[in-house]
Amino acid sequence: MARLIWLCLKCIMLYSTVQAVFEDQVGKFDWRQQYVGKVRFSHFDSHVQSSKKVLVATENNVFASLNTRTGELFWRHVDKTGPEGNIDALLQHGQDAVLVVGNGRLLRSWEINIGGLNWEIVLDSGSFQSACLVGQQDTVKHVAVLKKTIISLHYLSNGHQKWIENLPESETVDYQAVYSGGNGEVYALGVVPHSHIAIVAYSLEDGEIIKQISVEAPWLSNIQASCSVIDQGVLTCVDSATVSLYMLDLHLQSQMTQIPLQVLFPFSSPYLPHFLCVNAFFHSRPPLSEFLLQLGPEHHLLLQLNNGHIVTLRDFKPAMLVSFATTGEKTVAAVMSPKNKTACSINLFSGETGRRLLDTTLIFNLDPNGGKPEKLYVQAFLKKDDSVGYRVIVQTEDHTLTFIQQPGRVMWTREEALSDVVTMEMVDLPLTGTQAELEGEFGKKADGLMSMVLKRLSSQLILLQAWIAHLWKLFYDARKPRSQVKNDVTIENLSRDEFNLQKMMVMVTASGKLFGIDSKTGSILWRHYLNNIPSNPAFKLMVQRTTAHFPHPPQCTLLIKDKDTGLATLHVFNPIFGKKSHISPPPLPQPILQSLILPLMDQDYAKVLLLVDDQYKVSAFPSTKNVLQQLQEMASSIFFYLIDSSQGRLSGYRLRTDLSTELIWEVVVPTEVQRIVSVKGKRPNEHVHSQGRVMGDRSVLYKYLNPNLLAVVLESTDLHQERSFVGILLIDGVTGRIIHEAVQRKARGPVHVVHSENWVVYEYWSTKSRRNEFSVIELYEGMELYNSTVFSSLDRPHAPQVLQQSYIFPSSISTMEATLTEKGITSRHLLIGLPSGGILSLPKMFLDPRRPEIVTEQSREENLIPYAPELLIRTEWFINYNQTVSRVRGIYTAPSGLESTCLVVAYGLDIYQTRVYPSKQFDVLKDDYDYMLISSVLLALFFATMISKRLAEVKLLNRAWR
Amino acid sequence: MLHRERIPLLWFFFQAVVVVAWCFTDMETGPGAGVSTQPNGDRFKIEGRAIVPGLKTQDWVSTARILVEGEEYVGFLRTDGSFAVNDVPSGSYVVEIVTPAHRFEPVRVDITSKGKMRARLVNYIKTSEVIRQPYPLQVRANGPHTYFMKRETWGWTDFLMNPMVMMMVLPLLIIVLLPKVVNTNDPEMRKEMEQSMNMLNPNPELPDVSELMTKLFSGSKGSSKAGSSSSKGTRPAVKRR
Repeated sequence: MARLIWLCLKCIMLYSTVQAVFEDQVGKFDWRQQYVGKVRFSHFDSHVQSSKKVLVATENNVFASLNTRTGELFWRHVDKTGPEGNIDALLQHGQDAVLVVGNGRLLRSWEINIGGLNWEIVLDSGSFQSACLVGQQDTVKHVAVLKKTIISLHYLSNGHQKWIENLPESETVDYQAVYSGGNGEVYALGVVPHSHIAIVAYSLEDGEIIKQISVEAPWLSNIQASCSVIDQGVLTCVDSATVSLYMLDLHLQSQMTQIPLQVLFPFSSPYLPHFLCVNAFFHSRPPLSEFLLQLGPEHHLLLQLNNGHIVTLRDFKPAMLVSFATTGEKTVAAVMSPKNKTACSINLFSGETGRRLLDTTLIFNLDPNGGKPEKLYVQAFLKKDDSVGYRVIVQTEDHTLTFIQQPGRVMWTREEALSDVVTMEMVDLPLTGTQAELEGEFGKKADGLMSMVLKRLSSQLILLQAWIAHLWKLFYDARKPRSQVKNDVTIENLSRDEFNLQKMMVMVTASGKLFGIDSKTGSILWRHYLNNIPSNPAFKLMVQRTTAHFPHPPQCTLLIKDKDTGLATLHVFNPIFGKKSHISPPPLPQPILQSLILPLMDQDYAKVLLLVDDQYKVSAFPSTKNVLQQLQEMASSIFFYLIDSSQGRLSGYRLRTDLSTELIWEVVVPTEVQRIVSVKGKRPNEHVHSQGRVMGDRSVLYKYLNPNLLAVVLESTDLHQERSFVGILLIDGVTGRIIHEAVQRKARGPVHVVHSENWVVYEYWSTKSRRNEFSVIELYEGMELYNSTVFSSLDRPHAPQVLQQSYIFPSSISTMEATLTEKGITSRHLLIGLPSGGILSLPKMFLDPRRPEIVTEQSREENLIPYAPELLIRTEWFINYNQTVSRVRGIYTAPSGLESTCLVVAYGLDIYQTRVYPSKQFDVLKDDYDYMLISSVLLALFFATMISKRLAEVKLLNRAWR
Repeated sequence: MLHRERIPLLWFFFQAVVVVAWCFTDMETGPGAGVSTQPNGDRFKIEGRAIVPGLKTQDWVSTARILVEGEEYVGFLRTDGSFAVNDVPSGSYVVEIVTPAHRFEPVRVDITSKGKMRARLVNYIKTSEVIRQPYPLQVRANGPHTYFMKRETWGWTDFLMNPMVMMMVLPLLIIVLLPKVVNTNDPEMRKEMEQSMNMLNPNPELPDVSELMTKLFSGSKGSSKAGSSSSKGTRPAVKRR
């Protein structure tokens, strides 16, 4: 009977393979958030007074324009990842933004209003040093690019090269900066460390060297860090050793004049500045005669060059951040200083006089769970009464951008840390207070009949009360206009919905900031910045206790490992509220090799986390007596594996009762031929509903469902296209037995693997035919099951039957994952992230090694699709329609309370959340269900029966009288 | 040993037969690249133009990107819809124009080590097939992407034209209307009908299946009929007549 039902279900599913989004579902249960990454350069568009654009160039190689009113993107251009797309410089002139990309490889000019490219040219090779706009008589027509050995000048209108010149003595001189004062000369500034500064002046017209001087400067090593050009071509440098300023007029002088800072500003002797820097930029145009000097971490000076003399305008202390801005003729300095522990105040000072401008105080509230302010970008504008108003963007250490308007109103914040999500989990939301009350009744031990009855009555009363309150609220809200009714999700009113479709997304970002995001709306409910993250971290997030164990709070553990040293720390927190748990994690003095979460639970229902250190010693967290006892009992059945990809070693270990380990198997891959790229096991929360597949002749082909199976991906070290290959090893993780081995010749990575149920799907690049190919391996036990009740790796004498088939895929892919549902009844789909930004939902049916080349009656009965070499990409299968997700790095799937529904989160530069129904919504009414039709048909039928009954009665009566 | 000797032979064979496309695999970075379109050695430029009919370029260029072989090389569109992907070494690449709104056909571009360019249709199955496309590329959008399914809307015509409904309604009409049109009590007519039935039934000796069934179940049916007639209160009224 069960098989019959199963067959029926399967039939339903097979008929409903075409799955797509309907147009009216747009935005109903899906959302997308677009990010740009950590900002490196930012420019407010100031050439139009009413402009609301801010240009940002980020460390993720993204160049974008943000709307300053809302914080949303006008447009965004995503370049290649890695150093080739790296943005080295951003210069803005009018409607054009000039970018130097890829260590001086490309020069691009963007039209910032529509976001299109003006031109792009390739620069000569050489590592990029500096770039600046070159003007003449107030019109900017050229851009100069300085590289290690050459300097070139390009037209701003079309990018064509005007001239290119070699730099003299470039072997010894380290050219670092380029400057143009607008008088027909371009200066290249170089330094021979601890010796002298070399200054070369080129003619703007033909690139001829006008003059070449060298100035003694034995104290200088880096121009970019400690020098700046102020006023009309006065090079100003600071020397932190002698605490003095050096000045040189580029046009006239050939000797630097030293001005001790003590003269300008009397220091008290214990406060010796250890870090000094001139805080004006080479490409601020026109160069200001004012400049800022940082004397200490929270100490700045505003100085002015006035007729060759330096005047101290103002001393800012304490001042965390300072920044210049100009509007019209006025120059202002914005200074951020700490107000109290939770807030900072920003004030505006006049650049000419150093006086504080009235009514310009702005309060910036520090997020206690965020980072410290790092950068300040100021947009100044003239108000109607000619006074200066301003808005600021504050960038904090956790990559957050906050845009603040004057009285301290936060217009928007962008959590740019979310552009780099490393790992995530979805956690069920807790029950509401009332539901929890009911649950609590069963949790406690019984204490007498009478009290139980009373407790039940009281909880029922509470429920009734809550229901009445709910009704009252509904009634109250109904009277109000719709716009006023707010359905804000806050931490307080979070509760699980009836189908468990709304969950908490816990996201871990590379910057070390953790986020809790409501999956239904995408609003960030909590954030927590970990400020002791190592520079090269690896993260692993584990759910130790779910919300199912009220009154114990849910518990997540984040393992943060320093990739360089191997040392790890644990961060234990509540995934619903983001608060750090009061449980103190054990200190981990040894480097950690492997971590595994066991299905064992301690008395507080927390799953046990095992950590294996480099001495192969195992420690447990939590490590209570109860846990240790359980571990001792279970030790003989706990196995784990370690991978050492540098030595090509894959080894399996067993736990001993004294929590030491024992090596039981080892597979060594010769590293000179191939290397281990990735190892994929199965997901522990995956359920397989059907043990086998019903064939056309009504026999059953049983699946080989080995939960310990590992898929090991190997790539050849030889990358020559004739000899490169990709290999897949299927290894039993307990016994080390190699179940199957597949090699794809003339293929290379990157290999993307999905391992689930009894199949492994992987994708690789075929160098022979220059195309991407998919291959699927399915494992079957055969027509009979060896031991149908329990699977044991140690007792499986028969090797599984292996079927394999390959297909052509007409696009490269970024990432791949399989859908996951509660019970595993629903058919599976593969979710494939494409470089174009689409997320393709490809039915697993198309990747079935049993697809026949010749259709027979039996294969038709089995609903097998005939084999076709090419898989198609249909845009109807894009689950994210036109909401493209840039640079998809991972796709996370989670089951919901509905068997038909799988929750999907795709993350990369953007975050996209949606639901997919691989077999359509077979367990709920569809949202286009026609209630009107059904009820009208029912009503019509009802009336029809009434009328016909009446008619029949009349007829019978008439007959009887006849 | 034999195999090893055969491989170069095979390779030469390939080079001879499968014209130019296969030679591009030589990716050695030689400094002297004679007739290159770019001054800088062995890196080339893929150029072209994308056209969306009926739309101004500024409405869509900011969302578009040029992807060469996945994301290996990325280019952007100029404000007039033309594009150039710089810094591409010689080889064979699939060039795609990607926008969320419009669909463009991908093109395969071959670049020889000397910098000669050729564009052809993408064919993943027969990779060596050459159907030339213009170079510099001229790619025209062939319509918007279809992301959405159409909802099934309910209409009377859909309902009536449904084969199931047709199958139900037509026999009903025949059953109801035929007896009224054709007078069954007319003996001539009856004879005619019987004749036609015999025509249909090729072997009159063979018992009809339906008849057989009715005979088989007639005994039980009779009893059930009796039961049902007694249960229904309206029947006696008829009998009384």
